[in-house]
This record gives sequence, C-alpha cells and structure tokens, in this order.
Amino acid sequence: MWIYQKKLQYPVNIRNKDLRMAKYLVTQYGGPAGELSAAWQYLNQRFTMPDDRGKSLLTDIGTEELWHVEIICSMIYQLMKGATIKELEEAGLGSNFAQFGRDLFPSDANGVPFTMAYIKTAGDAIANIESNMAAEQRARATYEHLMDMTDDPDVLAPLAFLRQREIIHYERFKELRDYYLKQKLNQRD
Amino acid sequence: MMNDYNDFRNYYKPTPNYNNREDNNWNFNMNTNINPVVDEHKLNHDLFEPYEGFIRGNLFRGLYQSYKVTRPFQVEPMNDQAQLLTYIDSLGFAAHELNLYLDVHPTDTEMINLFNEYRKQANKATGEYEKKYGPLFVNSSASEKNERWAWNQSPWPWENK
Repeated sequence: MWIYQKKLQYPVNIRNKDLRMAKYLVTQYGGPAGELSAAWQYLNQRFTMPDDRGKSLLTDIGTEELWHVEIICSMIYQLMKGATIKELEEAGLGSNFAQFGRDLFPSDANGVPFTMAYIKTAGDAIANIESNMAAEQRARATYEHLMDMTDDPDVLAPLAFLRQREIIHYERFKELRDYYLKQKLNQRD
Repeated sequence: MMNDYNDFRNYYKPTPNYNNREDNNWNFNMNTNINPVVDEHKLNHDLFEPYEGFIRGNLFRGLYQSYKVTRPFQVEPMNDQAQLLTYIDSLGFAAHELNLYLDVHPTDTEMINLFNEYRKQANKATGEYEKKYGPLFVNSSASEKNERWAWNQSPWPWENK
C-alpha cells in the first residue's frame, strides 16, 4: 500500500507563466518516456522479480516515479496558472481547453493520450530490467531536450533534478542486472 | 583494446568537418554514465552532504553529471517553514538514495549505518515541522491536538509558495 506525504520530493515554485513549456512538458506526464509510464512499468514488473533485491528496487524506484509524476504535474499546473482562454488558444492549447478545461490530462506533447501500451514487460528478469535501463535513458534524453528549450531557472531546476534521478535509477538497474547475470553464470558452473 | 569510454572516445574521434556540419546528427550525449565503471564500490562511497546531494538530485559524486547548467541551483527558502522543509527534504533525499543503493547491496553495513543516521535526523526534523506547521503525514501526532481538522489545510504541495 501507499501513504501520502504532503510535500514534493523537490520543490516547484514557478513564477512565470509559460504555456509553450507546459505544452511540451506534458510528455513527461503521459508520454512514452514519461514518469507515469515508468512508474507502472516497474510497479507492474516487481511481482515476479527473482529475489528480494529486485522486488525492493522495483517497488522503491516505481514509488519514486510516482513522486516524479507529482512534480511534473505541479510544474504543468503552475506554468498554466492564470492563463486566459485566448492565451491558451494562441499557445496551441485551445483543443486541450475544449476537451479538459483547465484540468491536467496525461498525454504526450502532441496530445496523444497516455496508454499502458507504453509499458514493457517480457516475463524475463533480465529483459525486464534492461527495458527499465532503456526507459531511464529515454527519460534522461527527454529531460535534456526539455532543458534545451527553456532558460527559466524555476523550470530548469526541477528538470535538472529529475534528469539526475534517471542517471541514478539507471545505475541501480544496471547493478541489479549485473548481479543477476552473475548469479546465472554461477548456476551454470 | 578498449577498456573504458575514454578509450572509446579517443579511438572514435569524430572528424572536425563532420562535427561542424550544420546538419550533423552527432546526437550522442558525451555526458552520460553509460561508460563502464570499474570500481563500483568506490563510485558508490564518495557521497555529497545531504543538502548538496539534494540540490543535485544525486548523492553520489561519481555518478553526478550535469547537463546545460554548470552549477546546481540552490533551493532558496522564502521563510522559516520552507527552510525547515528544505532540511527535511535533504535528509529524506539522502536516506532515499541509500535506500535504493541498499536494495541492491543489502550487506553494506557502513551504508546501513549512514541510512539510519539520516533516517533518524529526518524523522526528528519532521516531528518538529509537524508540531509547528501541521501534518506531513495524516497519522502524525500533529493531527490529534487541533480543533480544526489539520490535514486538509492549505497549502497543498503543488501550489506556488
């Protein structure tokens, strides 16, 4: 089970409205390399991990990805706060407003709704963990693209934080993968 | 024989002409940790202090690789409440980093001890915070003595301060 902490993992305090960035940032909410996809990929895979290392790591990183969903949503919410309908339309968010009003909606940067078809699972611990390593690299790359598109320190700071988390998660998944490969080799001897 | 990523980079030098072409697609980030690391133990035992790790999103000096921003952003708390929360965030972050590390390296007693140190400090500071400013967890003791239901009071985490 999960319990809510009434705080963000990293603070989000964006002073300047920026609908352009909000439109792009949404891909880290509901896009193919987004946090929602990562969270459910790991939380779904953890049930059949071969040992306690895998079960705990996938539970804990999957949980952290939910914290990141919240950070990304907070950023989108603050970037769009106070925008008029005209401003939304001018920023290409008119169709978003027509469908969802001012609510958030998990989609990619083109408005394509989030789908669980993004998540990978293969019935094989090594294949699963390597798909997670790839997910971390794709998310890191996406954060770099987003960082390339803004110079607002209020936006860059949480993006830089989230990007580093992908690097750490990648490293831990790699260590777990290497450990399992070693176990496999030992079994063969 | 290529031993590490530096060898790879020395061997596969992009020709200057290619790299300077406007339409080049040398879209390979040199700044990632995909290089094979020989000494995993060393890499995981050179740690930042909790706050320094927190603002970087990375407690492990050897794993830290910045992009675009040359220096990490400081978290600038606007008041005492935000400052105490930053302190809790930092300790909680450090403990969480060690948690993930220990999931994969469960017999590293040095790191278990450090985890417990940060965990205790974080819990203590959380207790102080909740006493002063209200619950961070609904089952906090801060929930019990208020006449008004404390949990549902603003601000919520996603609201700008």
